[in-house]
Amino acid sequence: MKRLAILLVSLSLAVQVSAQEEPFQTTMTPAFSPVTWERLLNAADEPENWLMYSGNLSSQRFSKLDQINTSNVADLELKWAYQIPVIDRAETVPIVVDGIMFITEAPSNVVAVDARTGRRYWRYDHDLPEDLRICCGRNNRGVAILGETLFMSTLDAHLVALDARTGNLLWDVAVADYAKGYSKTAAPLIVKDKVVTGVAGGEFGIRGFIDAYDPATGERLWRTYTIAGPGNPDVSSWSEDSWQTGGGASWITGSYDPELNQIYWGTGNPGPDWNGDARLGDNLYSDSALALNADNGEIEWYFQFTPHDVHDWDAIQVPILADINYQGRLRKVMMWANRNAFYYTIDRENGDFLVGKPYALQTWAQGLDENGRPIRVPGMFPTYEGIVVSPSIGGATNWWSPAFSPQTGLFYVNAFDGEQKFFKRDEEYTEGERFTGGGGQYIQPIDTYFSAIRALDPSTGDIRWEFPIQPRSSAGISTTAGNLLFSGSVDGYFYALDARTGEELWNVSLGARVHAAPMTFSVDGEQFVTIAAGNVVMTFGLKD
Amino acid sequence: MGLNSKFWWKWLLVGGTFCFSLTNIPALAQETGFINLYNTGVDIRLGARYFERQCSRCHGLDAKGNDETGAPDLTVRLSRASSDAGVFRIIREGIAGTAMLPVSADVPDPQVWQLVTYIASLNTDPANFDLPGSVAAGAALFTGRGDCGSCHMVGGVGGRRGPDLSRVGERRDPDELKTDLIDPNETVLPRWWTIRATATDGTVVEGWRMGEDTFGIRLIDANANLWSFSKEQMQSYERVEDSTMPSYAQTFSESEIDDLVAYLFSLRKEN
Repeated sequence: MKRLAILLVSLSLAVQVSAQEEPFQTTMTPAFSPVTWERLLNAADEPENWLMYSGNLSSQRFSKLDQINTSNVADLELKWAYQIPVIDRAETVPIVVDGIMFITEAPSNVVAVDARTGRRYWRYDHDLPEDLRICCGRNNRGVAILGETLFMSTLDAHLVALDARTGNLLWDVAVADYAKGYSKTAAPLIVKDKVVTGVAGGEFGIRGFIDAYDPATGERLWRTYTIAGPGNPDVSSWSEDSWQTGGGASWITGSYDPELNQIYWGTGNPGPDWNGDARLGDNLYSDSALALNADNGEIEWYFQFTPHDVHDWDAIQVPILADINYQGRLRKVMMWANRNAFYYTIDRENGDFLVGKPYALQTWAQGLDENGRPIRVPGMFPTYEGIVVSPSIGGATNWWSPAFSPQTGLFYVNAFDGEQKFFKRDEEYTEGERFTGGGGQYIQPIDTYFSAIRALDPSTGDIRWEFPIQPRSSAGISTTAGNLLFSGSVDGYFYALDARTGEELWNVSLGARVHAAPMTFSVDGEQFVTIAAGNVVMTFGLKD
Repeated sequence: MGLNSKFWWKWLLVGGTFCFSLTNIPALAQETGFINLYNTGVDIRLGARYFERQCSRCHGLDAKGNDETGAPDLTVRLSRASSDAGVFRIIREGIAGTAMLPVSADVPDPQVWQLVTYIASLNTDPANFDLPGSVAAGAALFTGRGDCGSCHMVGGVGGRRGPDLSRVGERRDPDELKTDLIDPNETVLPRWWTIRATATDGTVVEGWRMGEDTFGIRLIDANANLWSFSKEQMQSYERVEDSTMPSYAQTFSESEIDDLVAYLFSLRKEN
């Protein structure tokens, strides 16, 4: 009987589709050709694709597409939505390669869909152990691609390589031991012939690092610890053996300058977060920007934003690279709005401090000295009773991607003007357990505090315009050659501003928190904008 | 265990009563500090009875899962639990945000452990099979005369014209694997049906069916190109529900088929 059933379904099924009045206009081409390093290097010149987490190696999140622009953005409409089956808070930035979109899902899965329709080609589900150590939700922020291979971080601190055409697993390596508190959430960065990737776990007393892997085999090529250890004179910035549990996680995606051959990457808070008594000193290289030699991972320079941090103000922001006019000279700079509420422009050739100013409410520092080191307001360290400080633990910004438009010359950041009461607690380190030494609480309902998109002149740090957001935002930003800025908010709005003036041009209520960054791409000449909100990835385009 | 029991798990499914102990359970349990003492054949039977009443609505009587309910296949390695204690916790506490609700607080722990034992028994543990073939000889045939790698990937190496076999031993038992080799058309997953599409501009594309819905089709062709069509773009399309894999009944002797089965059944995550 079973055999008969099989025979019946084995018959060929021919279906005639009635000819449409409008014949298919474009030439059908097979989607997806290999993404060479050359393509990644010149990603900005193929704006139809979004080839990496931050769009290109300089992480400007600026697209040359201008079909959608200030004159027609009000005509955007939803084209398709993809519902992530595992319910969590989507933080993914998809990439698009030749009409195929790769979306990461909570907890550590990938789906490949047709970027024009959102319909699925394949999916990869990663097996996870049940005793994960994660601080802040089951997130994944995106994949990297090189050739025909995707690379993804997983919550159990693995790095996996997948065949981009089928989703087949090519290799799976443990970057670190998840049982010790390590995890991975950020999209890797491809640099030449290496997969560069960081690690999370700053609330578990880990010792952070940045790694490079062979894309073909998963073999580790170099590891650079973000916390100075024995043999490095900077270990003296840690009292006694406190460097061993010094944190300095690297849970973000960095940037790369091919001319200087330097990788730029931010590092997180020292451990324990809120009690610095057992780790006296500057705690290098926590809360820093690191410039690494791309070939061997050596630290060529560092810039520490918050020495001896006791407020959990990770320097986990995407470094934005650009060449700008500074005091009459073209300078290769790195732009950085830090979680500590100061904006910095740094010379990326050598780490020299050029510009630094607050861009959001802060009460902890009188300012920055000539080297960019903060001049602290006395008595702002957490106490057993609690003390109110701005910005809050979440910071004046966080990992939410900022953007830079070479067209306007402005740097855009999602700023939060908050405050919190910070507490200190005594805590012993136990492997695999939380190691934070305190915490914080809002002294008023969080909706009392507001965010704003602020547009800064990177040559001065001055705020050119701001767009207030109520209640607040934890979304990333993108800009386009159409002079548009796209972002979202916690109450579920997705909106477009004029990148020159901050004028609001369009908004739509998506019904759930926007906690990701938007990206844009085109297929067959038609531009789209994609954003994840709540549990759904939504793609918008102009009305047909 | 030396138990040549290619049908043993099927007997269990229909409530068979023979007893044996699952030697792997204490080992697994020790890793997490829990020991499941309810690991006899009687426990499996009682667990199966409870499963049929309480779990099969979503997971199916055969526990193979159901896309409609979102319930996963419990006969393969579980993605959300890697130990008996983990399965116990899921049954006890449920999975927040999903349709997997916790069992009633009235259900005593021993009954939950019996359910855990039953679910563990569904996983085709290779230790329970005494196969006639040789894994090493099968591996040699796979890469050698069979040239299976031209279509199938194992461990990230191989072709894309057939399923990735890196973990096929977790989802197919030896009988099924043998049938797959001798009569590939017996079971063809819809992912491996082929579609021949003719576009309105005359372009013809033929490939394996990655996705098909009311309005569109996604294919991967023999050169691993990915295609997505709206059905509006097609003059016609033809769907063939046979496998593109040939039968290996004539290519290999019976003992060679046994070797291949032994090799394929050994392909699991641990390898």
